[in-house]
Amino acid sequence: MKEPRSPASGFNIVGKRTPLVDALPKAAGTAVYVDDIKLPGMLVARVLRSPHAHARIRAIDTSKAEALPGVRAVVTGAEAPTKFGVLPLSKDETAMAVDRARFVGHEVAAVAADDEEIADAALRLIAVDYEVLPAFVEPEQAVKPVPPEHKIHDYTKFPDNTHRLVQHAFGDLDGAFRSAAATADGRFKMAGLSHAFTEPHAVLAHFEPTGRLTVWSCQQVPHYLHRALAEVLGMPMHRIRVIKPTVGGGFGGKSDPFPHEILVAMLSRKCGRPVKLRLDREEVYFVHRGRHPTKTKLAIAADADGKLTGMDLDVVIDGGAFGSFGIISSYYNGVLSQAPYRFETFRYNGRRVYTNKPPSGAMRGHGAVNTRFALETLLDELAEKLGLDPVELRRRNLIPPNSTTINGFRITSNGIAQCIDECTRRSGWAERRGKLPYGRGLGIGCGFYISGSALPIHWTKLPQSTVHLKIDMDGGITLHTGASEIGQGSDTMAAQMVAEVLGVPIDMVRVVAVDTDLSPVDLGSYSSRVTFMNGNAAIEAASKIRDKLGRAAEILLAQRTKYGVPREYLDFADGWIYARTNPELRVSYMEALTLALENNGALVAKGVYQSPPLEVATHKGAAAGLSPTYSFSAYVADVEVDPDTGYVRVHKIWAAHDCGRSLNPIAVEGQIEGSIHMGLGQALMEELRFNKGQPLEPNLLDYRTLSAKQMPEVEVIVVETNDPEGPFGAKEVGEGPLAPVIPAVANAIYDAVGVRLRELPMTPDRVLEAIDQKRDKPALAHAAE
Amino acid sequence: MLLPAFALHQPTSVDGAVALAARLAPDFDWVAGGTDLLPNYKQRLNARPHVVSLARVAELRDLSTSRIGALVRLRDLERDPAIRATFPALADAASQIASTTLRESGTVGGNLCLDNRCYYFNQSELWRDAKGGCLKVAGPICLVVPTQKENICWAAYSGDLAPVLQVLGASVGIAGPDGRRTVPLVEFFQPDGIRRNVLARGELLTHVEIPETAKAYRAGYRKLRQRDTIDFPILGVAAAVHLEGDTVRDVRVSLTAVDTIPVWIDLADERDKRMSLAWIERIAARVLERVQPVKNVSLRPGYRRKMAAVLTRRLLVALTT
Ligand SMILES: Cc1cc2nc3c(=O)[nH]c(=O)nc-3n(C[C@H](O)[C@H](O)[C@H](O)COP(=O)(O)OP(=O)(O)OC[C@H]3O[C@@H](n4cnc5c(N)ncnc54)[C@H](O)[C@@H]3O)c2cc1C
Repeated sequence: MKEPRSPASGFNIVGKRTPLVDALPKAAGTAVYVDDIKLPGMLVARVLRSPHAHARIRAIDTSKAEALPGVRAVVTGAEAPTKFGVLPLSKDETAMAVDRARFVGHEVAAVAADDEEIADAALRLIAVDYEVLPAFVEPEQAVKPVPPEHKIHDYTKFPDNTHRLVQHAFGDLDGAFRSAAATADGRFKMAGLSHAFTEPHAVLAHFEPTGRLTVWSCQQVPHYLHRALAEVLGMPMHRIRVIKPTVGGGFGGKSDPFPHEILVAMLSRKCGRPVKLRLDREEVYFVHRGRHPTKTKLAIAADADGKLTGMDLDVVIDGGAFGSFGIISSYYNGVLSQAPYRFETFRYNGRRVYTNKPPSGAMRGHGAVNTRFALETLLDELAEKLGLDPVELRRRNLIPPNSTTINGFRITSNGIAQCIDECTRRSGWAERRGKLPYGRGLGIGCGFYISGSALPIHWTKLPQSTVHLKIDMDGGITLHTGASEIGQGSDTMAAQMVAEVLGVPIDMVRVVAVDTDLSPVDLGSYSSRVTFMNGNAAIEAASKIRDKLGRAAEILLAQRTKYGVPREYLDFADGWIYARTNPELRVSYMEALTLALENNGALVAKGVYQSPPLEVATHKGAAAGLSPTYSFSAYVADVEVDPDTGYVRVHKIWAAHDCGRSLNPIAVEGQIEGSIHMGLGQALMEELRFNKGQPLEPNLLDYRTLSAKQMPEVEVIVVETNDPEGPFGAKEVGEGPLAPVIPAVANAIYDAVGVRLRELPMTPDRVLEAIDQKRDKPALAHAAE
Repeated sequence: MLLPAFALHQPTSVDGAVALAARLAPDFDWVAGGTDLLPNYKQRLNARPHVVSLARVAELRDLSTSRIGALVRLRDLERDPAIRATFPALADAASQIASTTLRESGTVGGNLCLDNRCYYFNQSELWRDAKGGCLKVAGPICLVVPTQKENICWAAYSGDLAPVLQVLGASVGIAGPDGRRTVPLVEFFQPDGIRRNVLARGELLTHVEIPETAKAYRAGYRKLRQRDTIDFPILGVAAAVHLEGDTVRDVRVSLTAVDTIPVWIDLADERDKRMSLAWIERIAARVLERVQPVKNVSLRPGYRRKMAAVLTRRLLVALTT
């Protein structure tokens, strides 16, 4: 598509620094979040949670709670045993624990009451009879066979707590390792992470006397919530309306349908009153769905020319108590690991296990981040063994544009070579790397990411994204979309697409996003799909309107000039429709619109997006990771390590990212800077520590995200490849930019003090331990002589 | 999270506060800025039915280089020109506490009387229940050292000002039903995460006195934490030296966040020594020997212990050159 006749004067708004359309309301405090919504007669809900990591629930007595004045409804799991889950392949959740509590914090019962104090008091009156079961909190425990009655989920076919096994093999891997000129290998351990979004989950449900249910929730994926509500509540979808108000960040943490969303609807249905639930931060750590803790074993091989010949990867993924997005994570940890490099052979064993901990799920950079840390670290080690500069080794192995990876991904636009050139040139790589004083170093890390999962989670042939437009006599353009604005800028992006095509200022476009009664279905804000898919749908819809306006303009110009101007020769810009060859010949947008509306009424149009068929490979799981296009990035980090304390200070990141065309530089830079902030948190300090399965630091003081004071200077380098299928050539920038920063820092630490870290985060104590071991080693060797 | 219900009392004088406290004891807590007490109350950590606010007691607000009222806000301490000129270490330590907004409320008295902190203590009711309770909140044992003979609480004292004030030789003024007294700050703290200090119920801390002799010392503070803001110390070292030429007439070192109280290092035998790197190393070694952190706040105890020596060494080098 995806570029309807670009105006002679260049773009109207594409590529211009455009403030996000929801920035002012947010800054002024007028944006409405779920917790701001108050309905007459609204009740407050609180949730009773399991104090046991694993326990059978023998009985729940709610009678005392129900008798407490001010309590309007109490619900338990037995009232809604239907299982759900974001992936149809592992529906293993219920609205509340039915007969088994599977982690500390698992929802067991819920209360709706006149106020929070009464609801809190009511929770204390609920008596639960638990039979404590052995808890499996470490993945090592989870892969030992257990009696079926102790399995965390009994539906799996495994004798232990394995949830999913993925096995991929391409080419003669053993041969590649046997004939390798050099190999590098290591065992890595990456901690689990919380998304640490600003707004804790909140949901408001209103079951009306008409039998219709409205649910307001901070959701990235309202469509799947819509489906899950219908399934679990046994209601037809048309009786349910899901509304997503302003959302205070998601990063993947608001993309499952959640138990708390369903139980609030149950409470409202039970008492006929609106019910609101607002989670505490600690509860956010229970709901969780953050980055999976992983243990990764990786070996790579190269021939004497520095050509990568083999990659052998084994990952154990700690899933926590439920499936969530875990099957996808199990694939992504492997299939998103090779590009931007070409490996001749590849073997992947991935195992996701259930443990009695809060469920892990999807988080920014889903599945690609942890393996990337391992791979990019080993590439550096391999380069050293081959006597090559780490950048040179990478350059020799890049996959070219318009090619196919060994596991069948279609690569189209690909700016990785330029990304590497730019970030190394600007950072002074050749002059500085390996030559800085002890304690200071440079490191590189690359990456790539899907720009929208090509296959929908629910196997249907419905479009993946649809946009409706409506223009009436006021001239304003109402854009209905199911794309979920969660702070990433999708409303702005969609409005930009329409404003560009119709040549009007962006403030003429008003976005009505995600109200399932009003907006067409969009699959949601995950897998970095929204700009690519919803952007294309918006362009298609706007192009149809443009045709209608063009026809009207043609008529008007025919009346005013001798020969008229055929539609194909009209450009749309600045609120005018004019002849490309002679801008004096023009009609205003409003004039053309007025004529187009005559005897016709409001202009409406629809645009859709559906990915092209991409599946070429046929192995099991071949569809995982397929995307209409991919983003690429290369970063250089400049760090300083204090060798006495192990503290790492990141001075600067040169971040080169290929996002196709940069539709809005402000948003592109914001996504890259935000990704770096988040990635540095994972690199240096973020870590979900557990104590017998219980999150040890379920708050934002002790669970440390990077503070503003640690944020380094970031030089964003946007590499524009102009993707052939992207909206005006754009592709993703929301997730891909996170992964490279972690290995870039790790490799820079090596350059600075000569130690390799195998564990994330690289906290000062771990860094110092590595430095001390290196110091001790020569001494020990000496002593042994 | 909701605050539990309590009755708020707002006396306007120290005598009024003491009289009120005598009536309410033991069912009350003092509150000054509330930046420590209120988060703890929300987590139902020993919340009491009465809270006596000191905010309206004007006589607790003195601020000079010899006397700092308990109600002086950290933000005012950190910006006070006389304090900055005379005791820069104190202003510096204050400026590293929590965040700017919290320092607008947090007070000197609240900081000294700060409740101790621990993984097992600073948690919600559900969290603690799941562990079977923590000794400091009426649970059966201390979960940090569950196998110890005496069952004492190991929660870490984590205030930033105390070690600095200790090395400046400060004392604190205390008012209570039995009148007023002054206690050297090195004797104020009690080695038990529950007991914490010598204040009897009904007593309050009125002010800090810094002796004139403190002006002869060069003092400094080094704080270890993962972020350069907001975080409590995982280790803090304060030191003061009295130099005459290259002779060290006196040296004092105190550490925070490594024990249930600020750890005062007895260095009487290191007085009147010639300043040298070897002398600094000896003191760092003494610190290493004395400090035994336990696993109750972030970063490994062994690492924090090592850092106690590293920061002491760095601080002494800075103070003596
Ligand atoms: C996010 C966060 C980060 C923080 N970081 C730090 C940090 O880095 N370093 C640090 O030292 N602190 C930190 N704090 C703790 C706190 O903010 C400060 O210690 C502050 O100085 C406490 O003073 P306050 O007046 O607010 O105390 P309050 O909360 O009012 O009181 C604290 C305790 O002292 C008692 N108390 C108060 N005044 C008196 C008095 N005059 N006599 C007797 N008892 C009294 C109270 O009863 C209570 O037990 C942090 C707090 C938060 C929430």
